[in-house]
Amino acid sequence: MLSIENLSVTIRRPGRQVAALSGVTFAVRPGEVVGLVGESGGGKSMVARAIVGLLPGGSHATGRVLFGDSDVLRMDDAALAAHRGRGVAICFQNPRGALSPTRTIGKQLVDRLATHQDMSGDRAREAARELFEAVGIRSPQRRLDAYAHELSGGMAQRVMISLATGCAPDLLIADEPTTGLDVTLTREILRQFRHAADTDGRGVLLISHDLASIAEVCDRVVVLYAGTVVESGPAAQVLREPAHPYTRALLRSVPDVGGRPVVATPGAMPLLTEAPENCPFVARCAHADRTCSSRRPGTQPIPGGREWSLACFHPQTRPLDADLPSTSHTPDAGDAQPAAADPKPAVLEIEDAHVVYRSRFGSGGHHALRGVTLRLAPGETLGVVGESGCGKSTLAKLVMGLVAPTSGTVTVAGQALVKQPGRPRPRGRALRRARTRAQLVFQDPIGSLSPRRTVGDSIAEPLRAAGLSPAQREERVTAVLDRMELDRSILQRYPHELSGGQAQRIGIARALVGEPDLIVFDEPTSALDVTVQAQILDVIADVAADADRASVFISHDLATVRGFADRVVVLYLGRVVEEGPVDVVFDTPRHPYTRALLGSAPRLGGTAGADGEAVELVKDLEEADAATGCPLAARCPFVTDRCRSEQQELQSYGESRAACWRVPELPALIGRQAVTP
Amino acid sequence: MAELRAAVSGDSAQTPVVVAGGDRDSRFARRMIIVGATILSVVALVAVFAPLLSPWGETEIDPANTLVAPGGNHLLGTDGNGMDIWSRVLYAARLDLGIALAAVALAVVVGTLLGLVAGYFGGWLDDVLMRVVDIFQSFPTFILALAVAALLGNGTINLIITIAAVNAPAYARLVRAEVRSLRELPFVDAAITSGASPVGVLWRHLLPNSLTPVRVIAPLNCGWAMLTLAGLSFLGLGVSIPEAEWGAMISLGAADVVGGRWWTSVPPGLALFVCVLGFSLLGEGLQDRANAKRR
Repeated sequence: MLSIENLSVTIRRPGRQVAALSGVTFAVRPGEVVGLVGESGGGKSMVARAIVGLLPGGSHATGRVLFGDSDVLRMDDAALAAHRGRGVAICFQNPRGALSPTRTIGKQLVDRLATHQDMSGDRAREAARELFEAVGIRSPQRRLDAYAHELSGGMAQRVMISLATGCAPDLLIADEPTTGLDVTLTREILRQFRHAADTDGRGVLLISHDLASIAEVCDRVVVLYAGTVVESGPAAQVLREPAHPYTRALLRSVPDVGGRPVVATPGAMPLLTEAPENCPFVARCAHADRTCSSRRPGTQPIPGGREWSLACFHPQTRPLDADLPSTSHTPDAGDAQPAAADPKPAVLEIEDAHVVYRSRFGSGGHHALRGVTLRLAPGETLGVVGESGCGKSTLAKLVMGLVAPTSGTVTVAGQALVKQPGRPRPRGRALRRARTRAQLVFQDPIGSLSPRRTVGDSIAEPLRAAGLSPAQREERVTAVLDRMELDRSILQRYPHELSGGQAQRIGIARALVGEPDLIVFDEPTSALDVTVQAQILDVIADVAADADRASVFISHDLATVRGFADRVVVLYLGRVVEEGPVDVVFDTPRHPYTRALLGSAPRLGGTAGADGEAVELVKDLEEADAATGCPLAARCPFVTDRCRSEQQELQSYGESRAACWRVPELPALIGRQAVTP
Repeated sequence: MAELRAAVSGDSAQTPVVVAGGDRDSRFARRMIIVGATILSVVALVAVFAPLLSPWGETEIDPANTLVAPGGNHLLGTDGNGMDIWSRVLYAARLDLGIALAAVALAVVVGTLLGLVAGYFGGWLDDVLMRVVDIFQSFPTFILALAVAALLGNGTINLIITIAAVNAPAYARLVRAEVRSLRELPFVDAAITSGASPVGVLWRHLLPNSLTPVRVIAPLNCGWAMLTLAGLSFLGLGVSIPEAEWGAMISLGAADVVGGRWWTSVPPGLALFVCVLGFSLLGEGLQDRANAKRR
């Protein structure tokens, strides 16, 4: 159906030239889901643009993009208009941004049906309702009259899918459809694409940076690197035994909930100005030799693999896990326990803290944290996990003294950083010094650096408050730069000149430079490319291991936390639902929510979820105010009247604690749930 | 011909398909900036070297030749007082340009400071400052300028204050809006948690980052300032005769234009037009470029 042959795209603009794609060849057949995988700059979006005939200005394209019998690159405007919508439809990465904010989603869908399918108004409305039902939107009639801003992220992505499938396109393209969605939703959305391929025989091209998460629903995957296809083949095989060193690097960079260690690959993707003469991965490859740097490997089929081909002189044949040090996770998880028992004074103490964001209008408010109690000793690393809206970022701000608790107390190294009931707070210079005892590493590495100040200035900021002389500051800054393995020349640069990985190293350097007692990492890698993520995780693991410092690592991704946390806390709607030593919580989760999270997390080797043991939560609720009873009551499959009426406190179950009274009965209940459907 | 076409189509996959466009807007913006900057440089040079370029003095009177037509001793003729129009148009560039630039500079400084403080601290301070700004902005600009000018009286300094007072509220609002959105960005939290004092956050982090829109608006604003100045002078509230100022010259010559002596008012009018055009082109160009960058 879709066949891309030797597609090359070079973008020429005055002053710069980029070889976005160099000889890309692959095909998508009806009823097939093909995953297009790679990091940013790999050329994924350019492929999508070429397929819909939307190459950016200044593009020079050669090769063919055959759709049926016609070449999209050489279509005239009328043919393109028919091709888009009926031939191909796209689901964008940011579904809420792709929907018009001022018209109801029903109208947008009906419009599209009327234009492309020549339907009358009533028929289109009926069809729209059916489409909504097909993608699993409950009460579709009511949703048709909603506006884009009234939808949750997952709901908006479903609406996008129904918009895209509405005109019965032959090919559906999804550009990073689950980025920014919670793990429990990601699988659900991906299944919608599988469904579109299976029931309607459409071809689906699924674009993603994360091979492991999409592999489950894909028939085949195509891996792009620097605008070239390095490997393509059956999803399960590529996932289990990737043959190209880059595919292997990509998979190993992603932490896994099973506790498999992350292996970082140094370097970054090159930005090519013309089609490469050698293997584009040569500078980062452990197997590279002289041939690799002088010639570009051709695409060869792998013997024995069905439609499995690769562009490499040194194909790897062993399974991915074979050449790794055997699994058993970090040994320090054990010896961290005595540290917690030490009578050393706590670095961070949070006592029954509540945070309510008052609404500017009216009397309502958003209850972001509901009674969180935490204690952290020096040298300890605490992982905090939860989905969006669970209060993770509020917790970070609370610790840093950027928001004040509505009730309860927070102290860092014994001092209060914000006004709170019944505690004196230092003022002026003393407060500024106290603040530097805790440092934050931000999610958005570039945005956390002041755009018009040099890197050197930003790193030295905490030292100003300490009142160090310029010479002393410079000494400390260069020392911390060395630890981050950054060159000194970077000090004179501005944030927009940095790559994401460099910027995050700078952010960590700034946090470290004042030698704080506590560092909070707030989703430090979620804005980074996969292989860069692994490099930064290495750096963070090193920093978190410092014995005299405590760390808090906040993430939506369970797997990253497992890498180096001693203890883990699971948050749901502002409450701690489970807490305990990291391995205990991951290996024997107690709370239904923790079980659901772990079950949805992608695992390598194709065995997604904890086989049959996974708890399936009810999806897409309008957030109910969980003031009384268990916060999970509305989504939990094991809910009883007692859950709805009685507030759940953390209770000890073995080494960990969970806020659920049904924990002892759960294994039996889950067994029954697995049988019934 | 047929053979040629066959040859081309046979290798069609290798013939590059070129997508046009990409940077037409930014090229146009650059041209606007260049033309605007050139005009303004010429005006600035004229202002500096006015004594060398003018045959007559700024207020020098040729009593024998009042209201003579262009030509001869007087390149652009003389006005009713016998003063040389050409010389006065050149000299007027000093006052017009000087007052406009000084007034906008003052407006930027005052407006930015107010906007920074209001935007960062918020609360009652913000409320009070913004209500004052509201009061200023609720009057039509020129009416307000008239009122302030009438209140302060004539004089160069008073004119600068008048025009600055009329324009400062817009900067206050602009910077306040910018600061309020910047304040939510992580780098401000980073500065606070790094122990920066409120003054440090304002001065070292928010100020440099909030000036981008100011840089774009200020040149446009200089053009408006010049028009306000000329308007005030035209109505007798600005620069007083015999000092050379374009608005005052237009006003002085207005009566004579009716009698067919166009040269009294048209040259200063044209000078004003060219100068304002220069500022507008520069300002619009900068604005387009800033927008293109944002995209």
